Amino acid sequence: MTRLLPTSGCRYILLAAAVVVGLATGSAQPQPTAPASSTEKQAATYVGSQQCQVCHEDIFKAFQQNPHHGVETDKKRGFENNACESCHGPASKHVESVSAADIRQPAKLAPAEADRICLRCHQNQPTHVGRINSSHAKNQVACVACHAIHKNGPQGLVARTPAAINQQCSGCHAAVWASFQNPHRHRLPEGAMSCVDCHNPHGSFLPHMTQAFRGNEPGCFNCHGEKAGPFIYPHAAVNLEGCGACHQPHGSANPRMLTRPQVRFVCLECHANAPTPTPAATLGTIPPALHDLRSPRFQNCTLCHQQVHGSYISRDFLK
Amino acid sequence: MRILLAVLAMVPAWAQAPAQNPPQAAAPAASTSSTQAASDAGGKTAGATAEESPVPSTEPWFTGNLDMGFRWLTGPQGSVATYRSIIDLDQGPRLFGLDFTIKDPKRRLFDRIDARGYAWGDPYNTAHVEAQKSSLYDFRFDYRNIWYFNSLPSFANPLAPNGIDEQSFDVRRHMLDASLDLRPGKRIIPYLDFSHSSEFGHGIATWLQDSTNEYAVPVLPRSGTNNYRGGVRFEYNKFHVTLEEGGTTFKDDEQASANYFNPGDRGSAFLGQNLALTNLQQIYGIRGDSTYTRGLLTATPTSWLSFSGQFMFSQPSIDVNYAELAAGNLAATVASSLLFYTSEIGLATGAAKQPHVSGNAGFELRPLKRLRIVESWMTDRYHDAAFGLFTQVFQPVGTSAPVTAANAMPNEQVVNFNQQQIDVMYDLTSKLTLRGGWRYVWGDATVLAGTLSQTGNFASGQLKRQIGLAGLTFRPIQKLSMNLDYEGSSSDNIYFRTSLNDYHKARGQVRYQATGSLSLQGNFTVLNNQNPSPDIRYDFQSRDTALALYWAPNGGKRVTFTGEYDRYTLRSDIGYRDLPFLTSVVSTYHENAHIASSSTDVALPGYAGMTPKLTFGGSLFVSSLSRPTRFYEPMGRLTLPVQKNISFYAEWQWYGFGEPFYLYEGFRTHAFITGVRITK
Repeated sequence: MTRLLPTSGCRYILLAAAVVVGLATGSAQPQPTAPASSTEKQAATYVGSQQCQVCHEDIFKAFQQNPHHGVETDKKRGFENNACESCHGPASKHVESVSAADIRQPAKLAPAEADRICLRCHQNQPTHVGRINSSHAKNQVACVACHAIHKNGPQGLVARTPAAINQQCSGCHAAVWASFQNPHRHRLPEGAMSCVDCHNPHGSFLPHMTQAFRGNEPGCFNCHGEKAGPFIYPHAAVNLEGCGACHQPHGSANPRMLTRPQVRFVCLECHANAPTPTPAATLGTIPPALHDLRSPRFQNCTLCHQQVHGSYISRDFLK
Repeated sequence: MRILLAVLAMVPAWAQAPAQNPPQAAAPAASTSSTQAASDAGGKTAGATAEESPVPSTEPWFTGNLDMGFRWLTGPQGSVATYRSIIDLDQGPRLFGLDFTIKDPKRRLFDRIDARGYAWGDPYNTAHVEAQKSSLYDFRFDYRNIWYFNSLPSFANPLAPNGIDEQSFDVRRHMLDASLDLRPGKRIIPYLDFSHSSEFGHGIATWLQDSTNEYAVPVLPRSGTNNYRGGVRFEYNKFHVTLEEGGTTFKDDEQASANYFNPGDRGSAFLGQNLALTNLQQIYGIRGDSTYTRGLLTATPTSWLSFSGQFMFSQPSIDVNYAELAAGNLAATVASSLLFYTSEIGLATGAAKQPHVSGNAGFELRPLKRLRIVESWMTDRYHDAAFGLFTQVFQPVGTSAPVTAANAMPNEQVVNFNQQQIDVMYDLTSKLTLRGGWRYVWGDATVLAGTLSQTGNFASGQLKRQIGLAGLTFRPIQKLSMNLDYEGSSSDNIYFRTSLNDYHKARGQVRYQATGSLSLQGNFTVLNNQNPSPDIRYDFQSRDTALALYWAPNGGKRVTFTGEYDRYTLRSDIGYRDLPFLTSVVSTYHENAHIASSSTDVALPGYAGMTPKLTFGGSLFVSSLSRPTRFYEPMGRLTLPVQKNISFYAEWQWYGFGEPFYLYEGFRTHAFITGVRITK
């Protein structure tokens, strides 16, 4: 049995904790003020959100209902009374000149640069643990592509209802949304599920930004808990390749969202190796010849091998 | 139903809400004056409360929508089982949507409560509640109830004498999640979470001993998973740590019971005997639990370095108890001999334990303003160690001495997975970012071998894959953006014949804001995977091209159009061995699909300051080649406001599904909905 000692893991945690304590000594003070992009802006000073209200009344009012309004009273990061300038930078120059050139406009910055503004506060939150693995971050999808900073209402900052979330994601992932028009699909078009039930848009260490639940299990098992195991006789494909080895989770023309129209092809495309494989051969041995595939009795493998995700009783997944 | 009736009873009262405008206008004033009075009396604290409140005094304390109506169906004509497997909407009264927000201007117990529920009465209904009080708590509750019906003849044996409904299910999935964050926004945030998912209902499964015959029997799936977790988040400006402890409990009590003559699927005598099952009692008693420990860390020690990592250790375990009692004229291979028997008692017990360690770490380095280097590493390893014992006692035909068979087998599955990746992103200009990188994936696995395997009980697999990454983001003007991604791989070892081996994957996306009212988007994806090994000869290619258009002339005041078209082709050829003669053949799967969806909103000429709206669109899916399929869902909807806050609507939708190769699975129906939407 492979040694999997929690104590060695605990040692890593303690080491990490020691690093954190070291870092903490430099973190007690609030963040320095927003970095400015030019010498002129460095000279600018904070004027307070009330000053912004004078000209930007509509935005100011809407912002009162936005969760980011909390920045106005947040002593934690040192932006108290300067919520607007926490993102837009010190505004004294802009107030004097009334010129858009004298204020930082995150919407017009390059995505990576705009993200840096958001991440000054949000980087150190649990939602961003997988951010550097995220294809969103690597593909320059800015935070503001999904999050509306000024809006108010229950969906102000980000879409909340499944239908709104799906609409937002499909705005970029048109091809993925098209696959949900297949007849056999998860219930996203009906609004019973949303993209973020299975994917973490901030990033995940699992492939395809898949959500991880519980013991780092893929998001599929959050609903399909009975297929998570551990089993006495697990089916290797489930753990080694994931559900996508046999299913098309977004939708398929094939029943049960399978990758092939008939079950036997899903199985036999892997189970076709000779009983004496070469060292570099793949897994999946050919079934015994008693399976006469000319007979309809044997053409749907899961009719007998019904516990195909893993069995507690039968090595051959019969019970 | 009782909830629905209660909501129905509330509707008249709700519908009168607009008539109460003057008192509502007075309410915030009263609220303001009471706050003012408190301020005068209480001094600083009350004054601060009034000052901090971001809710303007004229803001209504209650806002919401109620959407309810009735659905009629003209069908379904054709296969009801397929209709239920794909659509499963029935007729009757429905609460299509209910959402409301309550704000407490004085912020006593809560700042706001947001609640919403959808599709009550339909096979997938949801409820969601969020309550929060700034800096004190943040509570979220989510509930889903999804009926899962699946009975497709193409999944059964078409020659089965009892009908082609094997492997069908009519079950409900309940899922709920409740989480509570304490002191949100502060530096130290404790949190608790409970989630539950369960499945219960009925279905038809198969009981069998071996290949002599198989018997479709009714089953009652009963399983549930609970997850408890709690932890503390430490959020500081330069780092964050989350420490979490959690646990899971699982149970599966599936049962099968049949007490009738069941000839099974064989359809012919077996060595002169007509096999039949006359009685079956089968029960599973599976109990599982797990605890896990998780630690998360993110840190930004300097402006040019970010770091994040995660560590997790879990140890799920399972205890198995299983019993079955079968009677009839049955046959099975026992100890390499064929045995005809009249009854069988089977008892199984077993246990499995799966210590599981995973961790990942990475950093983002920004040594220059234009340069970002991202390095990440992860490992995921577990060891499923199990032991199972299945004991059976057979009563042979014509003799009195029972025959006992015991099958004991230890099992294990060991999986080690590792991945390392480095990405370099460089802003060549302010409009062009180039990316390049490399990913190395490696691992090994020991799994249970196939029955015929000559390697013993276990087989080993290796994974070794090198992947090159490249991409660019180009934004020549504010209105145009383009993103391209490419990855290409050469694998030394893979786990399965259909795994990614030597592959090329490319993705492209172009977005263009042509005018203020017209935006276009195009997506392109291609995946080409080859495994030229003489035993495999795998050739896979898929292409997906999507175009999307959004048009809202004049700010969408009169017409808004959203449309998408997707063209998808897939070609997969792989060699395999056909049974029973092990002939070498090619499994061919080709798919050629056209998918389109659209929605058009048209504002019709108004009356009395109100604007009726016509919405039409829907979706179509048309595919050809290996499994030709037609699936249409056109719809139209007319919304007629009758008061400022009340509108009636009528909706029509058509569901049409057909497959030339499986004509008996087609269905079609019209669905009509009339309803009322009340807004406050």
